[in-house]
Formats: sequence, C-alpha cells, structure tokens
Amino acid sequence: MPMLVLAAIAAGLLLLLVLVFKMIWRVAEPNEALIISGLGAHGETPADMPGDTGRGFKIVVGRGTAVIPGFQTVRRFYLGLRTTTLTVKAPSNQSIPLTVKGVVVFKVADDKASIANAARRFLEQNEETLVSTIHELFAGHLRAIVGGMTVEGMLHDRESLTANIRTSLADDLGKLGLIVDSLQIQEIDDEVGYINNLGKPQAAAIEAAARIAAAQRDQEATQAEQIADARKAEAVRQSQIEQAGYQAEVDTAKAQAAQAGPLTEAQARQEVVKAETAAAELDAQRAEKVLDTEIRKPADAEAYRQITLADAERQAKIARARAEAEETTLRGEAEAKATAATGEAEAKAIQARGLAEAAGIKARAEALAENQDAVIAQTIAENYPDIVKAGASALGNIDNLVVLNGADGMEDMLGKALTMGGAGLGLAQSLMSSIRAGAVEDGARTDGTRPGAEPARETVG
Amino acid sequence: MARRSAVDRGDDSVVGREGRVTGTVGPGLVGEVILPIRGGSEAFNAYPYVGTDTFPIGTLVRVMEYAQPRIVYVSAAL
Repeated sequence: MPMLVLAAIAAGLLLLLVLVFKMIWRVAEPNEALIISGLGAHGETPADMPGDTGRGFKIVVGRGTAVIPGFQTVRRFYLGLRTTTLTVKAPSNQSIPLTVKGVVVFKVADDKASIANAARRFLEQNEETLVSTIHELFAGHLRAIVGGMTVEGMLHDRESLTANIRTSLADDLGKLGLIVDSLQIQEIDDEVGYINNLGKPQAAAIEAAARIAAAQRDQEATQAEQIADARKAEAVRQSQIEQAGYQAEVDTAKAQAAQAGPLTEAQARQEVVKAETAAAELDAQRAEKVLDTEIRKPADAEAYRQITLADAERQAKIARARAEAEETTLRGEAEAKATAATGEAEAKAIQARGLAEAAGIKARAEALAENQDAVIAQTIAENYPDIVKAGASALGNIDNLVVLNGADGMEDMLGKALTMGGAGLGLAQSLMSSIRAGAVEDGARTDGTRPGAEPARETVG
Repeated sequence: MARRSAVDRGDDSVVGREGRVTGTVGPGLVGEVILPIRGGSEAFNAYPYVGTDTFPIGTLVRVMEYAQPRIVYVSAAL
C-alpha cells in the first residue's frame, strides 16, 4: 500500500506541476502578440530596441513565456488581417457626386513599436470597436482622396491612387501602429451618369465602326447576291431564248405541215380560177368580136357614108360660095365704076356751082362794099317769096277759118299775118349782118324758116 | 526564458537591408519599399536618403536609416 500511496502522491505532484506550468506558461501564436504587464515586465533594454525609452510592458510574439499569476497580467492581441468595407459619398474634384465603395485590408504591424502603439490604443477594445474606428478613419481619408482626384484618375491611374492613399494615410497609420496591405476601390457610382457618358463616345465610335463594317459586309454580300441573281437571270434568259428559237422552229414546221393541205387546196383552186379566167377572157373576146361584127362595122360604114355625104355637100357649098363671091365682086366693081363716074360728075357739078357761087359771092361782096343797101334789098327781094310763103304758112295750117268781121276782119288778119311775115325782116336783118361780117355763108341756105313765124293759130269756136 | 527570439533580440533591424521599391520614392512623395525581415517581408514607407533622389517602382534600394514606427530612408543599392 505505501507504494500505492507514494505513486498516488507522485502522480498528484506531477499533475500539480503540470497544472502550475499550465497556469504560468503562455504561448503566443504567429498571428498574435502577448502583452504582459506587471512585475518585472518592463520590456526590452534599449539595446534590444534602439530608441526605445522603455514601454512599461512586455511584448511577446510567436513564442512561449512564463506569466506569474497574480503578479503579471497577460492579454492576447490579434495581429492578423482585418478587413473593412467602405462606402463613401463624396464629390470628385470636378464636383461630380460619387459613391465610392472600397475594401481595406489592414493589420497591426509586426514591429514592436507598432504593436506597442496599437496595443496602447486598442488592447481592451473588442474587435467591432476596433474595426468601426478604423472604418471611420479610412472613410474620412477616402473621402479626402476622392475629393482630390478626377473620376478618370480614379478609374485609370492606379499608381496615382495608391500613392495618394499612402500619402494620406502614412502618418495616421504610423500613429495607430497599423499597416494597410491593400486598399481597393470596388465600385464607383455616380448619380449623374458621368462615367456612363465617359464611355459613350468610345462606345458610339465602336458601335459606328461595327455598323459600318456590318453595312459594308451587307453591301458586299448584297452586291454578290445581286451579281449572282443577274447571272442567273442571264442564264435563264439565254435558256428561254434558245427554247423560244427551238419552239419557233417547231411551230414553223407544224404550221407548214398544217398549211400544206390548205395550200394544196388553194393552189388547186388557183388553177381553177386561172382556167375560169381564161374562159371568161375567151368569152369576152367572143363578145367583142360579135360587137365588132354587128355594131362597129355597120357604124363605121354609116359614119363613112355620112362623112362622104357631108364632104360632098361642103364641096358644093364652097363652090357655090365662090361663085357668089365672084358674082358679087364683079357686080361691086361695076357699081364702083358707076358710082365713081357719078361721083366725078357730081363733083364737077359741085365744083362748077361752087365756083359760080364763089364768083357770085365775090361779086356781091364787091357790090356790098360799094352799095350795101342795094345788096340787102336785092337779097331780101330774092328771098321775098320765101318770106311771104313763111307768113302764109301760118294760115296754111288752119282748117277752118271763120272771119267774123267780114272784109275788114279778113284784111286785118292778112295784115297781121304779113306783120308776122314782117318778122322775117328780123331774119333778113341778121342775115345781112352776117353777110356784112364777111362770112362765106351761102345766101341760098337762108331758108324760109323764121323763128317768129310760128303760126298764130286762132281757133274760135 | 533565457534565450530570446530573433524579434526580441532585435535582429529585425532593417538598416542595411536591400529591398524593392513598390511605390515611387522621391521628393514630396511617400514611397514604399518591401524589405525582407523577420522571416517574411514587410512594406515600409520610404523617403529618399538624399533629398533629390527619385526611385521608380522596381528599383533595388538599400535602407540607410530607420525611423519609427515604419519609415525608412533609402538610397540606390550598390
């Protein structure tokens, strides 16, 4: 039994030893630091950490260390990666309102100074507090960074963006003992469509190029199709032309074959017509000859007879006319000779009378020149019978003359008639004046017509 | 407890280390370099050691000075 007791005691001691060791020995894993403060935990010497003026606590990373319970306290401080996402609304430096979403991957730096800085600030705080604090910090910095850059810069100039982040965060992170492994902008939204519009010209250019290319290809394809169609149509046309040619030949042959019968018939009929025509001509010749014999030849004979008769009659008339003409000529010549002889005789008589009158007139003119009144008286005396006859002619026209006054009336009437005949004296006077004027008037022409001797017809009854 | 880890011993000093520029280092800029340290690599904010130097991304640089908490001054690696 003592052996058993001893063994039990030894086991108990061993267990106790293990328990004590477990109580005082702490191990820091690679991603954490043990922050030990308390008795004897004053950190490294200045030789260990140049520039360290004594931080007042001990930092253990990646190894075990003994912690005296009751005299020292130990806390684990997580050094691993932490992540926070950021959503920041801020205008860019072109005053375009943006919503920037980013993610920050950060950790407590591994050097003792950084661990000390971080530990002093965050040791007692839980994880959420730490992350939210850091989130606010980064959000503020990101807002400042966005405000200092253009949208295009944020989108395209990665080097500039990280440089800006580093510049902005370096001092703050140093104070907090943190390092940023990565800060990524996940998304940039703009409410005014700036980013969309940025891409639109290029998109439109690409679209235009695509449409142009499509249109060109379409055009080429259409051209090729049309050329092919045209060639097809050409082939079809050629084929149809040849088919039509052959069909025409076939039709011609068919038509000729079909017309052979009617043609023969027509030719036969033509022969018939020719024969009939010849017969008709013969008939016509016969009729003509009949007419010639029956009508024309008798007519010719009659005409010849009449012409001959007319000719003979004409000859007879001509001969008769010639005979008459000769007779008339001869008679005319005889009459002309007679007339010429008569005319010569008359002319000689007239000439002789004219000469006698001229001698008379000459003698009268001489006598007139010597004794006018005698000539006048002689002239009146020569013409007195005519004068008296003219006065008596006024009575000559009276059928019945009734004398109322008896002898006196008769005498009176004769006196008046003589008075009227006395009017002839006026004529005689004018005759004398004309003679006196030396006119060659023949005194014989002074007939008995007297203007004043109009018969004063007195009709009593 | 007697033997201290590399972290505690202070061999996390970055001075003298060479690293690659991941954010342009130059006057007026806050650059960034990645340095091998503590068995891994960490990013540090970097400024030019000589005020007029500019180191574009990808340049190999050497840390000349270190300032807490995470600032290094770099010049071109030789």
